[in-house]
Amino acid sequence: MIAQMNRRQALLGMVGIGGMVAAAVTAGAEEHPAHPVAAPDAVAMLYDNTICTGCKACMPACNEANGLPADTLLSGGLWDMPSDLNSKTKNIIKLYEEPDSSAFCFVKRQCMHCLDPACVTGCPFGALEKSRWGAVTWNSSLCIGCRYCEVGCPFDVPKFEWNKWNPKVVKCEFCYDRLNKDEQPACTAVCPTGAVIFGTRTDLLAKAKERIASSPGKYFENRVYGEHEAGGTQVLYLSKVAFNKIGLPKLGSASLGHYATKVSSVIYKWFSGPVLAACFLGSLIRKNWNRHDSERPEREKATGLRDQL
Amino acid sequence: MSARDIAGTTLINHWQRGVPVYREPVVTPTLRVLAVVAVIGLGLAVARLFSPLSPFSGMNDAYAWGIWKTFNVMTLTALGSGPLALGLASWVLDREKLHVVMRTALASGFLFYAAGLIALGIDVGRPWNFYNALLPWRWNAHSAMLEVAICMPVYCAIFLAFENIPMVLERFYYTGSGKTKATLLRLAPTFRRIYPFMITGAYVLPLMHQSSLGGLLLLAGDKINPLWQSPMLPLLYLVAACVCGLGFVIFLLCIACLRYSRPLDVDVLAELGTLLSWACFGFVFLQVADLAVRGKLGAAVRFDEMSVLLLIQIALVLVPGIVLRNRVARETPRTLLNMSILACLGGMLYRFIPATIAFHPAPNATYFPSVPELLMSIGYIALATLAFGVAVKYFAVLPGEREDWNYMFRRKGRARQVAVRTQ
Repeated sequence: MIAQMNRRQALLGMVGIGGMVAAAVTAGAEEHPAHPVAAPDAVAMLYDNTICTGCKACMPACNEANGLPADTLLSGGLWDMPSDLNSKTKNIIKLYEEPDSSAFCFVKRQCMHCLDPACVTGCPFGALEKSRWGAVTWNSSLCIGCRYCEVGCPFDVPKFEWNKWNPKVVKCEFCYDRLNKDEQPACTAVCPTGAVIFGTRTDLLAKAKERIASSPGKYFENRVYGEHEAGGTQVLYLSKVAFNKIGLPKLGSASLGHYATKVSSVIYKWFSGPVLAACFLGSLIRKNWNRHDSERPEREKATGLRDQL
Repeated sequence: MSARDIAGTTLINHWQRGVPVYREPVVTPTLRVLAVVAVIGLGLAVARLFSPLSPFSGMNDAYAWGIWKTFNVMTLTALGSGPLALGLASWVLDREKLHVVMRTALASGFLFYAAGLIALGIDVGRPWNFYNALLPWRWNAHSAMLEVAICMPVYCAIFLAFENIPMVLERFYYTGSGKTKATLLRLAPTFRRIYPFMITGAYVLPLMHQSSLGGLLLLAGDKINPLWQSPMLPLLYLVAACVCGLGFVIFLLCIACLRYSRPLDVDVLAELGTLLSWACFGFVFLQVADLAVRGKLGAAVRFDEMSVLLLIQIALVLVPGIVLRNRVARETPRTLLNMSILACLGGMLYRFIPATIAFHPAPNATYFPSVPELLMSIGYIALATLAFGVAVKYFAVLPGEREDWNYMFRRKGRARQVAVRTQ
């Protein structure tokens, strides 16, 4: 009996240590509020498709800055001509044409750098992380290639190298290397018209709202896409046509990370849910087991056979 | 006379202990076919290790998860949740009758999980980085994927394997030398002492990862049809696992006894039927209540594609629930078998749909598994089936009559009589 108590104590001790480790792990991780607040130094891009001329200067600039090959599939091997974001393209200018008129506009697509990104929430070992200034970056040595980022991302941004044995997850990383060298991202640096500009999120949000205020009715719904979408993003859009027409999905204002973790973060807080479940189930199991085991000699005697587990 | 007769009950209990299948040859034509299918699948899997994913799979950036994850893991581990469902019933709810069929659940569950984990290992693009699982400071504690990626292999390799050890050691005991017997007898008390702790872990872990499998889909948000996207996904996935686990054990017991000409134990089967019917009711109640709370009942009866799919799935679970309330139905093996198949299909559909049919990641995106993808998926299943077919011949997996025990344990494919004490 004493030996049994010791074992039980040892087990409880182990549970305690496990709980502390889990607590340390959870305490270190960031929480997921429904409406995250951008850090004061959070960088941003503001893209305004009333200014964009569709010159696509940002695309080769992006390829060059990120060492990406040209996607020549559609051009017969001649020049860079991606049809969408893909594993060779982190940034693209797409053309939208109204079906029944000659009206058209452009849209620039790249990672939105959400304030609480679904990809970061889901990434099991933190290969995708919210780095300095809020840039969402990818670390090759932590990624197991599960592609949960692709399932989670509401903007369909992360792309996977299906044709490589050592596949990478390809997505815009806000030119994190350039940010570290005090340079702005390649696309904003090269844009000749100022259709996409770089700055802090606070500044650019204010600037976008100024533009809306100075010409009401010019912009769709008189609002900035990315201010609240999916908890807010660090890439902001002003558009003359409906956002969903140019491929920017209609999303709620709460972050997906909040929706996905609001219950589980309580259950797994300090690993308390599983520990409680183990204690509850364990006590019942032990009671039933003890009875079952104490009846064993009787059963073995009655049948003449060793008891089976 | 059986123990139950001694105890004064009138029903003759046919299932008294696990007994190996000893009259049949190990290698049968079916086994050969399964082996061919498994070898094709595993051959492709090995080839995939030296190749990118693209030539082996129809997956794309929109449908980044194919059937290896959505069917082999998310759907089939539900069928492999028998050890959880039966374990909770027998050890927590103290349904003593069910101990005799635990091994059927344990062996099949282990094989489903193992096959699912192989599928997962072939599916991930950068498996060499999986060592990060050993470094807790690199864990993203908020990720459902982390929970699944660590909890599932640990459960299968440690807890489920531990639960399956007795039937292996038992074989060594009865076929081994005197020295082996002495060693095993010496180890037995220690084993029994840690057993209750290990089975506690063996029930807590699947509670965690079976719900996390549903939790994975929460992050996909609006990509999943609102009939299925719900904060209740984790709980519903867990209950669906219990429905499938119970249903599959009934199915497997009926089929195996039919195949190996064993008597059925109506008493035990009826008990399983009762549990299954409650699990089915519980599931349908939760699913409908969830739809009602989220205000989706209107959409559920709109009779468009998704609504019809949902109604079929609900009916598949509800019908066995209702039918198995009837005692005569529970005690009729044919009905029980049919109802267990319906329950399994319903539970599997629920686990499969949100990640596939109801998953609309982008306009114009399509996915259908490629031929190698299908062959690999089927190959893993064939491997598990084959392993089960062999296991029942060498180990005391399937329940049988005590009198048969005398003829058990073949060596090198031949049935061998082992002298044991009889009454």
